[in-house]
Amino acid sequence: MRSTTDLKDVVSTHISSHGQPAIDLATTVLGHPETGYKEIKTSAATAAAIRSLGLDVREDIAVTGMTATLQGGSPGPNIAILAELDALPVPGHPNADPETTAAHACAHHCQLGNMLAAAIGLQAPGVLESLSGSVTLMVVPAEEYVEIEWRNEQRMAGRIEFLGGKPEFVRLGELDDVDICMMTHVTTENPHEGFGVGGTNTGLVAKFVKYAGVKSHAGGAPHLGINALNAAHMAIAGIHAQRETYKDEDMVRIHPIITRGGSVVNAVPDDVRMETFVRGSSIDAIRSANEKVDRALRAGALAVGGTVEITTLPGYLPLAPDENLTSLHRANAEALVGSDRVHEFGRRGGSTDMGDLTQLMPGIHPYVGGAVGRSNHAEDMVVDDYNLAVLDAGKAMAMTVVDLLSNGASEGIRVISEHKPAMTKSEYLVLQRAFLSERSYTE
Amino acid sequence: MSTARELNRIEVKAAVRRAIEGSADEIIRLARDIYEHPEPGFTEERTAKVVAKALAKAGVTPETGIAITGMKGLRTFNGQGPTVAVIGELDAVKAPGHPSADMTTGAAHACGHHSQLGALIGTAIGLGVPEVASTLSGRAAFIATPAEEFIDVEMRWGLREAGRLGLLSGKQEMIRLGAFDDIDMAMMVHTSSSKSQRRFIVGGTSNAHVVHYVRFLGKAAHAGGAPHQGVNALQAAMLALSAINTQRETFEAENQTRVHGIITRGGVATNAVPAEVVYEGRVRGRTMTAVDKIAAQVEDCYRAGALAMGASLEIVSIPGYLPLDNNKDFASVFSKNVVTEFGEDALTTQADTVNAGGSTDMGDLSQIMPALHPYVAAAEGTGHGIDYVIADYRRAVVDSAISMALTVVDLLSDNAAEARMIIDSNKPSMTRAEYVQSQADRLRKIEYRGG
Repeated sequence: MRSTTDLKDVVSTHISSHGQPAIDLATTVLGHPETGYKEIKTSAATAAAIRSLGLDVREDIAVTGMTATLQGGSPGPNIAILAELDALPVPGHPNADPETTAAHACAHHCQLGNMLAAAIGLQAPGVLESLSGSVTLMVVPAEEYVEIEWRNEQRMAGRIEFLGGKPEFVRLGELDDVDICMMTHVTTENPHEGFGVGGTNTGLVAKFVKYAGVKSHAGGAPHLGINALNAAHMAIAGIHAQRETYKDEDMVRIHPIITRGGSVVNAVPDDVRMETFVRGSSIDAIRSANEKVDRALRAGALAVGGTVEITTLPGYLPLAPDENLTSLHRANAEALVGSDRVHEFGRRGGSTDMGDLTQLMPGIHPYVGGAVGRSNHAEDMVVDDYNLAVLDAGKAMAMTVVDLLSNGASEGIRVISEHKPAMTKSEYLVLQRAFLSERSYTE
Repeated sequence: MSTARELNRIEVKAAVRRAIEGSADEIIRLARDIYEHPEPGFTEERTAKVVAKALAKAGVTPETGIAITGMKGLRTFNGQGPTVAVIGELDAVKAPGHPSADMTTGAAHACGHHSQLGALIGTAIGLGVPEVASTLSGRAAFIATPAEEFIDVEMRWGLREAGRLGLLSGKQEMIRLGAFDDIDMAMMVHTSSSKSQRRFIVGGTSNAHVVHYVRFLGKAAHAGGAPHQGVNALQAAMLALSAINTQRETFEAENQTRVHGIITRGGVATNAVPAEVVYEGRVRGRTMTAVDKIAAQVEDCYRAGALAMGASLEIVSIPGYLPLDNNKDFASVFSKNVVTEFGEDALTTQADTVNAGGSTDMGDLSQIMPALHPYVAAAEGTGHGIDYVIADYRRAVVDSAISMALTVVDLLSDNAAEARMIIDSNKPSMTRAEYVQSQADRLRKIEYRGG
């Protein structure tokens, strides 16, 4: 039996020499960015790339998602390596789709690449048979919680229940036989040449808000109108007025956009729509802030004499990376790029549905550099180091899989046994479903 | 016919004019003295003493202490007839920074009420000459009313809670107490600073209004250490004011809506989340119907502020003033005297629709009896501003007194024929009892718990 160190050397070397298809997948996907649950071309390209490794692909999971499995030489834990299919609308991004404005300004295309790279590495001769357990390549749609109104329509039409891809995978049972999960996300943050590990993300609920007023001529008869835009304006002011009530440690973030703000300047707006997230570092913080946001939204309607319809949708749970898993991954990242290029990340304001998975099982969501720009989601966010973002990230995950599943999967079993999941799958579904509400108010 | 009755009206008026002219220095001095000692509504103790003393000296010892500081003196003439009231307002407004402002209260005569009191005394002196007593029929009442400026709402609400007031302005309360029950018609002259105007301005109307006394109630907490434990009442008030501003586009121009207010308590310490914020506001418009509609919108805005913050709210909605309805026939008697005394170019007649936007409790009186509220252009500066001062005391005090006294002479001469005609033809919009009842009915206290 080969030593864990040897196996990791083999995996790493093999990715260096055979990893080009992973980079190719990433750059191909970069060229046709698609938003969540609409990743048709991306899904096809990914499925083809996985099949070219000789693997079977189960497709059409949660609309555009898929899975494939690499079996080890003996039974053991099942480890999911995840990748996200979707882009997000970022007008002005150099690779934005001219029609939809979708762009890979969050570099999910590199996740597809680094997942594939890890698979390539684990397929190096002699590796899988030395591992006890299996690896599931899990390709999920719709991590960016965008186009809420459209996705909500898909929900009401019964095509999905959850607006995010991973909660939908959980609901569909795709995580039922997964014991450990990991995914590596690209970031523009320091270190550009290395990795960011650990760290937490906020959770969120999403809201879709419709103000109904009364239309009238804005110059000739404003007294006959009820201005829905003013209602939204007051709601946003009310949201702002409560910011001092959020505890620093709760990391509350509320940042609405107006998706419809009136039809013509010379008519009093009677239909104004907003989308917002309510983020927080704990479920209690999210719930409490969400109540305050609802008050402000209702107050907007009350102030102008209009009506507000508030749809609150289950979002994502806070990210809680497993410490043992973080240590294993960190050591591999340090071996690849040097310890001075691996930073411990802290509390982060963004959210990801990897958070949901970390509430259910040991999981990690490390970051890799190789991108430049103001921040993720900015129009100038581009990947400039595919070797790092795809190949090195893939190597670190594959090497961590080797750590977990070699030696009879003793590390994997230890990680699983020392982890205390925050909730079961059924508790998770109850919790998320309880966030769903659709109510109409005049005050 | 007695010899007294044979004196013609011109001679009577000449005697009245002479008496007022003869007292010019005295009544201007009185006005200036009051100017130097401004007192806000329902606290006009010193002002009331000065006025009561001067009325007594003029031969009409008043009943005092009506509606706290108000008073009424009556002069009864030989013949039987109606009672015409001449009114002066006792109170100052608040205008810190005004040259006459009281250092403690900020009260200042930035609305010229002090000169009304000089004119009131002058009118009493003029109508005290023997020639008048023997020729007129009926009575003249000399009434000093407190608190025309609807300010210090919290203090007045406290007086009401203590049982010392029923309605919160001077004329309103004096009507409620019956002080106007034996009055058939009433007039006063208010100063104006419109330089382009001729000496007297007759006609026009004023806005109706309601007064809001609003308490936003939150929860105190350390503003640095535990803001999450607090509920910020100041934010609730800020949101309410922003919400009101969003409603402005819905106010119809012809209604001359005015919504404005002040924050009289905005927190007690910067490092504590404000738990109580008090707002005194006003909603004005040309008609009560319009005011009630806008007031309902504004009340929703207060509620919205409280709802957004999860604060509580108490709104006291206090019926304010009714629109001024100058009696046309009354106005024409006054106007004729202005023209006769000061010439054609001394008079500006305004259309009934002209509305400067302000409000007065003479409006309330004008809804229950024939009333007249002309202006004398004797001031300069901005009304209620720090630069509003009487530039011409002779006009403000002496000319006003002459015009009012001679108007009374005309009204009550010839067995008070003119007064009787005006009273008989006047159609008040409500009786006194109806007025008092409607003011009581319209006073509402609303409590609201947001969130």
